[in-house]
Amino acid sequence: MHLIQRMKIWKELRRLEQRAKEQPSPSTFVDLGQVYINLDLNDKAEGLAEDGLALFPKSIELRQLLDCARRGLRNRRAAELRAKLTRAPSPKLFRELALIQMDLGDSNALHATCQQWSLRFPDDAGCWLMLGQARLTSFYRDLAAREGQEAVQCLERAVGMDPKEVQSRRLLSEVLYRVGAVHEAQKHVQVLREIDPADQEVEQLLSHIATLTDTGAELSVLLDEVESHGSLRNASLEAAQPAPSAENSISEVRTGLARVLELAGVEKATFIRGSKAMVKGQIKDGRDPFLRIVRVTAKAAHRFARRLDIGSASKTIVEGDFGRICICVFGEALAAAQCASDCDVELVLSELQELVAGALHAVEE
Amino acid sequence: MSKINDAIAELRHAPGVKGAAVITNDGLVAASSLATGLDPDVISGLSSYLMMTTNRSLTEGSYGACTKMLINATHGKAVLVQLDESYLVVLFDQFAEVAQADREVDETVTRIRRASKLA
Repeated sequence: MHLIQRMKIWKELRRLEQRAKEQPSPSTFVDLGQVYINLDLNDKAEGLAEDGLALFPKSIELRQLLDCARRGLRNRRAAELRAKLTRAPSPKLFRELALIQMDLGDSNALHATCQQWSLRFPDDAGCWLMLGQARLTSFYRDLAAREGQEAVQCLERAVGMDPKEVQSRRLLSEVLYRVGAVHEAQKHVQVLREIDPADQEVEQLLSHIATLTDTGAELSVLLDEVESHGSLRNASLEAAQPAPSAENSISEVRTGLARVLELAGVEKATFIRGSKAMVKGQIKDGRDPFLRIVRVTAKAAHRFARRLDIGSASKTIVEGDFGRICICVFGEALAAAQCASDCDVELVLSELQELVAGALHAVEE
Repeated sequence: MSKINDAIAELRHAPGVKGAAVITNDGLVAASSLATGLDPDVISGLSSYLMMTTNRSLTEGSYGACTKMLINATHGKAVLVQLDESYLVVLFDQFAEVAQADREVDETVTRIRRASKLA
């Protein structure tokens, strides 16, 4: 690149950096991030997108920027690994490269890597597991019988080459019971139990499969049925388990707030997530100034910490003639309490922290 | 002014303290002693934004003014103490025990207040 051109780009970059600092908004962050990506500074673009998402967590453009930066970093790592593999091939490097290619969704490159891998290391079952995983992902996405058949073949080969390998057997049993070949899946899960009798997940899987009925049909017929119906016959273990209900999570938050309010000196407490707030204590209604103060202060402290490069502000205490306001933030959830000057701040903060951490998975009302 | 500078410089030697500064309510740096990499103008801008925003919301809610603020972040901590026409900002590293440095911070506040009155 011409020297003058390069100087112009760096000048523009400085201008955009300054703009992002002075007027932080998704568009200023994205403009700067795009320049970083064009200059192949993907690590900087990734950091910038993460900072931007901390300030604007709902921005779709910033998420896209983050994806793009991570994709660039993965591509760079893949190129490094390919160069290393040319010099000194090893199953470990092949596995890492295949994983990156799977993340990138580059199935052609993944197949080429696995082909090389199986040629260089014919006794290593890893390449068949990787291929099986890639095929399985496509099968679950498109429900195409051919993909399912190939996934099963790859996984069966991996299991045959290394019968003690847990991952391939687990994936194989899952695809089998989900399409309806329950008896066949049961055999594999029994082997998994013999390999590790203490594994609770295997026990759960076994009891889940016991509730399902076997169709008795051939695997190819079952896969064709899946393709024609456009849905899998049985749900996965995770999907079959009951999700934590909104009522349970919210009642936990309510109990947590009541516990905070019981501490000596605490006058009011709140839990805020997004635009919703739950309150306890001397709070009249949603217009109580305490709620606004908590929101504004938490946001200001967050920005202060991010711009000062000291990470995310997790705990903030504001003192004044009114006593103390303690705020604890974690992700999108925020808990705060107003208390007297002589109360045990550490105790209040630890209770608030517990409340926020426990409510992270709270389902929105 | 040198007394305020001395007080700040002394506080800077307390364990875990990365920097300290006295900033006027309108955002000017009156005195500072900061570790390399910390820009006094950036700190004054950010802390005046933080204090102004917090104080405005407190006043609007009839809570009165903020006298002290403590922020605990992932990679560092900060304490802001309101003085008469200014405030003191102290930055700590993430491992510092702010409660242990309370005495030093309080002493510095007293010294700065005394020096301001004399001036």
